[in-house]
Amino acid sequence: MSREAMSRHVMETDLALYAAGDLPLWRGVVVKFHVRGCAECRALVEALRLDRQELRRSADDMPAGLSKDFDWDQLAAEMTANIRVGLAAGECVTPRERKITSVSWRPMAIAAGLVVLLAGAWWLNIPRTDTETIGRALRNIATGKRGGTPQEERDPVVGASSAGVVLVENGGQIRIDQGGLEPVMYSVSTQGSASARYVDQDTGQVTITATYVQ
Amino acid sequence: MSNKICIAFAVASGISLHAQALNHKIDFPKDSPVSLLSEDFGNSNATARGANLIDVNAALSLRNSGQKRIRSMTLMVSTQDAAGKGSVSVPTLDAGPGETFSIHISTRLVRPLTAGNPVVEVTLDGVLFDDLSFYGPDVLHSQRNMIRWELEAQRDRKYFKTLLAAGGPNGGIEGLRKEMLSSLARQGDSSQRGVQMVRGRATNIDAEPESQFAFLDIPESPVEASNGRARIGASLAGAPQFEVRNRSNRPVRHLEVAWIVKDQQGREFLAASMPADMTLAPNQSGPVAQDAALRFDRPISIQSMSGFVSSVEFADGSQWIPSRGALDQTRLRQLVNPSPEEQRLSQIYTKKGIQALIEELRKF
Repeated sequence: MSREAMSRHVMETDLALYAAGDLPLWRGVVVKFHVRGCAECRALVEALRLDRQELRRSADDMPAGLSKDFDWDQLAAEMTANIRVGLAAGECVTPRERKITSVSWRPMAIAAGLVVLLAGAWWLNIPRTDTETIGRALRNIATGKRGGTPQEERDPVVGASSAGVVLVENGGQIRIDQGGLEPVMYSVSTQGSASARYVDQDTGQVTITATYVQ
Repeated sequence: MSNKICIAFAVASGISLHAQALNHKIDFPKDSPVSLLSEDFGNSNATARGANLIDVNAALSLRNSGQKRIRSMTLMVSTQDAAGKGSVSVPTLDAGPGETFSIHISTRLVRPLTAGNPVVEVTLDGVLFDDLSFYGPDVLHSQRNMIRWELEAQRDRKYFKTLLAAGGPNGGIEGLRKEMLSSLARQGDSSQRGVQMVRGRATNIDAEPESQFAFLDIPESPVEASNGRARIGASLAGAPQFEVRNRSNRPVRHLEVAWIVKDQQGREFLAASMPADMTLAPNQSGPVAQDAALRFDRPISIQSMSGFVSSVEFADGSQWIPSRGALDQTRLRQLVNPSPEEQRLSQIYTKKGIQALIEELRKF
């Protein structure tokens, strides 16, 4: 080793690790070689070793609960938790500033417009019978009623009333009302047909309309 | 912003309400005894509103192109993918060879939205002539009904003509007038109720209690019904069963029983008909059971039920219907609907008077 290299001292942190025996093997050999030839660094290593011995003696004099096996991580976690609790408690007792939110009419107008648009689209596009069926189903859900209605309506239904005759089957429907005239009589049959009878007021001609399950 | 919403709404409305002209097809067989003179589907259209709503408003002008007098006719109305079929019948026709008559159709069909324009088909299901012969495919089994209408018409015209020809205080013109007034009063008293028929075993009727029902015996009826029972619930009656016995000397292939319901106030009304296709040899008995339930559109508390045999079809196609004498039983007279012919004649009396009615009766 040259004189110039020997004159470049080892970093103090490396000397401290060397004194504690914590340097890696190769680095430890390099520092050892330097300390042998450098009185200044050798003195510093000796001083560090003495400090270390002094600290170990001080630790031995600490109370029983703070032994060398003490869990410092747990202590740190408890201190952090205590700090957070303190902050939260402080927020509770500090008077809050009242936030005044400004209500804009625009979002409300947009929402109202969308509601009108959806209601209009529903009214225009969804047949009344479907709306009634959905309404019945929602009422049953709300009241918790277990009616036979949904099951029944999967089967074909024929009906006769003063509004004419109707057949509902597989989501389709056929209704015959003879232009809004009121039938003079109507009936249904157990074989799945409904009929209504109309009389022409002028000629007396009778017309009978009917629907049939396929 | 609000302008944009209005525009969107208007566009949506315009698209939704776009009604198309209706494609239709009138299909009569080449050898049909009825020919189409003209058609007017003016107000018919198809609108897409969640489903295809097809409004058929048509007036057909037809001519009897055959050699026999036509007494009644049935047209079938249908469209692809729509539920079931519909029909329009004219049961009180009297169209001689070469004569014209018209039929009006006003029907709404709803079918699922599919690609392409819906096509409504109007086809001939059957024509009945004055000799009770029949022409047509009879897809809807309309022949049976049409023969019954004609038998009822013949029975009622004969009754009114006999009454007109009879002397005494209950006969002649005055007797006919009284009978017409009585008929109109019965038609006005008819206590009809809107009713639905649900087919199949999916109804919840099986949980309801069973109740017996009696049959009104019509001595002249070739079939006797007995041991009737059905389940009764709130505004609901269903699963009717009964036994029938053929007491004639001719085999039977079809019969119909009228189903009468009585409410808590003691009012009786004809609720439904129970047709049954069955083969019954002379003196043979058999059970009839129907998988159906009757549902009333207004709440009703059913007190009791009854029934009577309203028509019978024999194996040779001929039919029995109750005579005027049998119908004169007080209960039946109140319950049985007047025939289409009796309604036509009473309307002529109402509109044109007793002389017009007498002239009409003399045509037959």
